[in-house]
Amino acid sequence: MLAPRILKSFAACALALAAVGAHAQAAWKPTKPVDLIVHTGPGGGSDLLARAIVSMLEKEKLLPVRMQVQNRTGGNGAVAAAAIAERKDDPHTIGLMTSVWIANSLTSDEAAVTVHDLKPIARLMEEPAVFAVRADSPYKTMKDFIEAARARPGQLKQSGGSVTSRDNIIRQTLQHATGVKWAFVSFQGGGERLAALLGGHVDMMVIEPQEAGEHVRAGKLRVLAQIARKPLPGYAGVPTLKEAGYDVTPTPQIRAVVAPPGMPAAAAAYWQDLFAKLHQTDSWRKYIADNQLEEDFGDGASLAKSIAQIEKEMREQYTLAGTKVVR
Amino acid sequence: MDVLNGLLHGFAVAMTPMNLVMCLVGTLLGTVIGVLPGLGPAATIAMLLPLTLKLDPTGAMIMLAGIYYGAKYGGSTTSILLNVPGESASIVTCLDGYQLARKGRAGAALGMSAIASFVAGTFGVVALMLVAPPLAQLSLAFSAPEYFGLMALGLAMVVLLAGESLTKALLAMFVGLWIATIGTDLFTSTSRFTFGQVSLLGGIEFVTVAIGVFAVGEVMANMEPTKAPDVLPVPKGLRNLLPTWDDIKRCRFAFLNGSIVGFIIGVLPGAGGTISSFVSYGIEKAVSKHPEKFGTGVIEGVAAPEGANNADTAGALVPLLTLGIPGGSSTAILLAALILWGFKPGPLFIQESPELFWGLVASMYIGNVALLLLNIPLVPVFARLLKMPGYAMYPMVLGVAIVGVYSDANSLFDLGLLAGFGLLGYAMRKFDYPSAPLVLGLVLGDAMEKALRQALMMSQGDIAVLARPIPTVLLSIAALLLVVPLFKKFNAVRMQMIDPEV
Repeated sequence: MLAPRILKSFAACALALAAVGAHAQAAWKPTKPVDLIVHTGPGGGSDLLARAIVSMLEKEKLLPVRMQVQNRTGGNGAVAAAAIAERKDDPHTIGLMTSVWIANSLTSDEAAVTVHDLKPIARLMEEPAVFAVRADSPYKTMKDFIEAARARPGQLKQSGGSVTSRDNIIRQTLQHATGVKWAFVSFQGGGERLAALLGGHVDMMVIEPQEAGEHVRAGKLRVLAQIARKPLPGYAGVPTLKEAGYDVTPTPQIRAVVAPPGMPAAAAAYWQDLFAKLHQTDSWRKYIADNQLEEDFGDGASLAKSIAQIEKEMREQYTLAGTKVVR
Repeated sequence: MDVLNGLLHGFAVAMTPMNLVMCLVGTLLGTVIGVLPGLGPAATIAMLLPLTLKLDPTGAMIMLAGIYYGAKYGGSTTSILLNVPGESASIVTCLDGYQLARKGRAGAALGMSAIASFVAGTFGVVALMLVAPPLAQLSLAFSAPEYFGLMALGLAMVVLLAGESLTKALLAMFVGLWIATIGTDLFTSTSRFTFGQVSLLGGIEFVTVAIGVFAVGEVMANMEPTKAPDVLPVPKGLRNLLPTWDDIKRCRFAFLNGSIVGFIIGVLPGAGGTISSFVSYGIEKAVSKHPEKFGTGVIEGVAAPEGANNADTAGALVPLLTLGIPGGSSTAILLAALILWGFKPGPLFIQESPELFWGLVASMYIGNVALLLLNIPLVPVFARLLKMPGYAMYPMVLGVAIVGVYSDANSLFDLGLLAGFGLLGYAMRKFDYPSAPLVLGLVLGDAMEKALRQALMMSQGDIAVLARPIPTVLLSIAALLLVVPLFKKFNAVRMQMIDPEV
């Protein structure tokens, strides 16, 4: 089944080459299976988005070749970034990055390859988040939580990922703005973080809107505030941080596509165009809506700007929080 | 009666020809990837996920779940035959399974593994069906201090895995604990013991260590010129290849132990199949009348962990289906699949999607029967593989080991690690260090360290957090396990002093 497909694309390619002659490089097309490199193992956030992208590209028939997800785990993205950089000039490799990759190159000595070494292709989305507490918690508003933390410094607890994760950056931004402190407990998996909140072992969690939604509906969780550029459709009536009285803009969590350094311009243009097409499909819109994400498409140049901006903000926050910045 | 109605409805769903085919495809695929080391159920389910969007969600879920629990059936095959663990949850099975194979009882071990998997797997489905929602609520009481107690108890099992010398076992365990710290630290995002190597940032996969120490070390030990190249004995006749009635009777407790321990640990989102297999093996040895024979090839040593890692899969579906909380990577992909198909996994899921829940439960009864029927005829086929002479056998073991480690992350660096750990395993054999404690330390070390640090972060550094009831009980049992051998020794010395003839 595969062989004829490859032959077909070879034939198409040969035809294209013959037809355009000297302008051959203008119309680059992938001619063999493409690797999509992610930094989480099977089941992790980026891995699941990558699998969804593969199935959407297939369903919408946008890609003439197969795309396979490659998991290069470890070092909060450092291993994946290095794996992409190793494929220098390769037009058949792309990677899926998140804001964590930017944070990691700021704080990790070993992360020799940083996002700046990779070629920006497209920004796909921004991930909103909500502040959730247990439904029987005494905190009914964001203010209740902040004031309780002020009354008992360091005693309230938030469950989340590593210290460089977005959850902690939001916490540090808020702590800095309000002058109160609460504890941050790291858990490896999203499931453990949520279980700690549901079991009453921690007081608060910054969580994906989709994940929290089901528990709110079942009367297990209450949402105090939302972090989103536009109010989330599923959270009408829940204030944004600003509406709740805290004028802070936490660094956005983006998901984007990057490519190896030195990828030929024609190939980079092809990939940018592919994701531009993908984000206009019904499948993509449905995925964004089902998972309560925020559409935020941008081309390579726009992604490069986002990365620079996010890095600047993170650098400031880390310096304020006393985290060592290595670059 | 709700349960009965639900189940009847579920069987009506699961018995449709299409869903039956999905169930069989899933379990068959699961068995195959279970047999192959390296490629695990999580990676397989992730790869098939895009394909399932074109299918009916109930059928697709039945198939993906089939891969998940089917893999645990196949996982023991290479553990028993080649000393190469097929899945991380089958590492303990190597201890007695491979020794049974060396004694010519590979068939019995393989057969018992299938039977134990069937018994415990079915027990798990029954429990999933009857007690899922209340049990999920109870599991939420388990947090960092409780996990620390559980991991410490698991680590205390080192006493049971130790051979002649407890000192050597402890040393091996500490090396395992050290290896577990390599990589990026979750809490501070700093790297530990990575020596500037990007490849070490992700830590060392314990399957690499287990395959290196067990399989490669074993092959090297067998290559010594002083030893006659041995062909493992394989009895003639189909009857002699399968477990005897006596074997089954001896494993009665192991079935129960594996079922209960596997299911309970499976329900906890922070534990998992590997830990449940170690704990059930430890319990089996602790209550055995002949604990000294464990590690030399006793059939209960295969039945308990193989049962546990199957009951574990049903247990892990409890928080997934009742709370929308995934405990491991396979269940995280199943959760994402449910969302992709348009379901809303969470506390209301069973209520709102009874067809999928009951269809899945019913399909798991069918799947377990199918797996038993599929695996028993395979036993003689696999057992006869051992007739191969050494010059064919050992290169094959090495080949399977290399492919298994490489396919996990397509990394040449990992193959270097495999060679290094193979040498370590060989040296440990030469100097009489038991290798199981090393793997135990590695498996539990990471989770134990995280749990302790989380517990202390929750209590602002107050160690009293470990005095909650569950951790107190678990830590007391652990302390008892560590102290008992000292008393035994003391007792032996005392007896000698009273009666010099003893």
